[in-house]
Amino acid sequence: MSKNRKSRNITVFFLLGACVFIFFMLNICIGSVRIALPDVARAFCGQENNEMVARILWDIRLPRATAVWILGGALSLAGYLLQTFFNNPIAGPFVLGISSGAKMVVALIMVFFMGKGISVTSAAMIFAAFIGAMLSMGFVLMMSRRIHNMSMLVVSGVMIGYICSAVTELVVTFANDADIVNLHNWSRGSFSGMTWENVKVMAVVVSIVFLAVFLMSKPLGAYQLGDAYARNVGVNLQLLRVCIVIFSSILSACIVAFAGPISFVGIAVPHLVKKLLNTTDPIWMIPACFVGGSAFCLFCDLLAKTVLAPTELSISTVTAIFGAPVVLWIIKRKENRKP
Amino acid sequence: MKNYYFFTKKICVGYDNKPLIKDMEITLGGGEILCLIGPNGAGKSTVLKSIAGQLGLLGGTVYLGEDDLSEMKAEELAKRMSVVFTEKVRVELKSCRDMVATGRYPYTGWFGILSEEDERIVNEVMELTHITDISEKDFGKISDGQKQRVMLARAICQEPEIVILDEPTSYLDIKYKLEFLLLLQEMREKKGLTVIMSLHELELAKIVSDKILCLKGEYVERYGTPEEIFESDFIERLFDMNEKEFLGNEKLLAYMKQIGKYER
Repeated sequence: MSKNRKSRNITVFFLLGACVFIFFMLNICIGSVRIALPDVARAFCGQENNEMVARILWDIRLPRATAVWILGGALSLAGYLLQTFFNNPIAGPFVLGISSGAKMVVALIMVFFMGKGISVTSAAMIFAAFIGAMLSMGFVLMMSRRIHNMSMLVVSGVMIGYICSAVTELVVTFANDADIVNLHNWSRGSFSGMTWENVKVMAVVVSIVFLAVFLMSKPLGAYQLGDAYARNVGVNLQLLRVCIVIFSSILSACIVAFAGPISFVGIAVPHLVKKLLNTTDPIWMIPACFVGGSAFCLFCDLLAKTVLAPTELSISTVTAIFGAPVVLWIIKRKENRKP
Repeated sequence: MKNYYFFTKKICVGYDNKPLIKDMEITLGGGEILCLIGPNGAGKSTVLKSIAGQLGLLGGTVYLGEDDLSEMKAEELAKRMSVVFTEKVRVELKSCRDMVATGRYPYTGWFGILSEEDERIVNEVMELTHITDISEKDFGKISDGQKQRVMLARAICQEPEIVILDEPTSYLDIKYKLEFLLLLQEMREKKGLTVIMSLHELELAKIVSDKILCLKGEYVERYGTPEEIFESDFIERLFDMNEKEFLGNEKLLAYMKQIGKYER
């Protein structure tokens, strides 16, 4: 690797990192109550005298911003894994119906248990979402064996998504009135109402998966050359495929369990990051996708909270506004390149 | 079989449990060049994929030296055998040098970072294959012929004992075709590289190979040295060429006759 490329990549990381930091701080300061930076600093040191400010910071803003930071990165990484897996630039957990599958199972579980007055733990939610994600993933994989046209695969993913969403809507409609508000917000995607307990669970799950994916960066790089050459250099393709499917499903599940389905981040961010880095080498792309996803989601969550305050937009509304044009741009570029 | 470097014992190849070619026996000494010839659709690519371990055998065993190919570890095989296939490689934002360097995969550590030794070998191979001038070009934006040379460099970079090539010359112009064959012979002399490849250019197969395998129908049609293959009208029969088709066109007729002959 040339020196030039390395310094470019490091600059990109520095920039993305700075974005994450700035948006994170803005997310903490801005909201229904504006908190000045000195107050934030004091609260961090435990010296804030205003009990309400401290509570808002510790119980609402900080866990939420941390969750956005973790889940945004996870979402973008899940998208990158799926794009690599299907060798398809517009694959992602949302368009392939994986998020919706996870959403459906979580909704079923929540309505079922809430109806009986039992609260569901974070870990159980992730597990339910994982089952749903694997269901959709299994279906997409089955389709991909028969359909080799990439756009048709995405279309069938979108269809799976619609079916799952319809079932979810049905379940939500029949749920108790009290649950509906919560469920409805969640099923459209929202980062609100995160607790430290949630954050702890997601931090553990996401960091383990992130580490595992990063350790896979060498075989992932060989996988980009296609099956024949990957096998020729000694990659265990079957094992690698199983790992990609499971890890991307866990990541998608984790996001859906806590924030509901969030659209387009998984496609847009890896693409933008790839353009910034000017490489597809997984050893750079994996961490960069994570940081980029965090920055993008922190930015979108900031807008979701502030644009129509005090009403909060669903996070997918904002991510779609910024993410969908990127997807259109990718498709247009792909069509142009064809002879 | 002790003296052979590459040996197939009654292998049967095909897709989806449907045998295409049965009971194939190939014996090759170390440093020998084998060409597969035969009409379109005869199964040349299938044979190459099968003996490279990319496609499951429907029967029989492939040996590399003393080792059964199916029992070798993937990493070990990667250090001994490399391939160039005809499938188009779709990669993004990878320079030609990056592509060649992927051949070092079996030798690098957990994260695949190239050592100075690896970098040196990559440079050397790129010199050898005359692609140093396109080193920094985007692999997606070069011509098919250039891609073929880059993929060949990638295969050599893997430092194999045996290389399997599926129509490696199809996109090359005449100069690079000859250069490519020169390179193979050089590699054979210097490093004892064994080569198995399919070729459409019979004239080239005739002059470059030690052994020729002719495929047609369910069994190996013929296997032998170029002298044995290019005799009387065998080539005409192999490709179903009929003199009658060319009657009245003396030039084509003469060309057809010329191809089938072996001259020392």
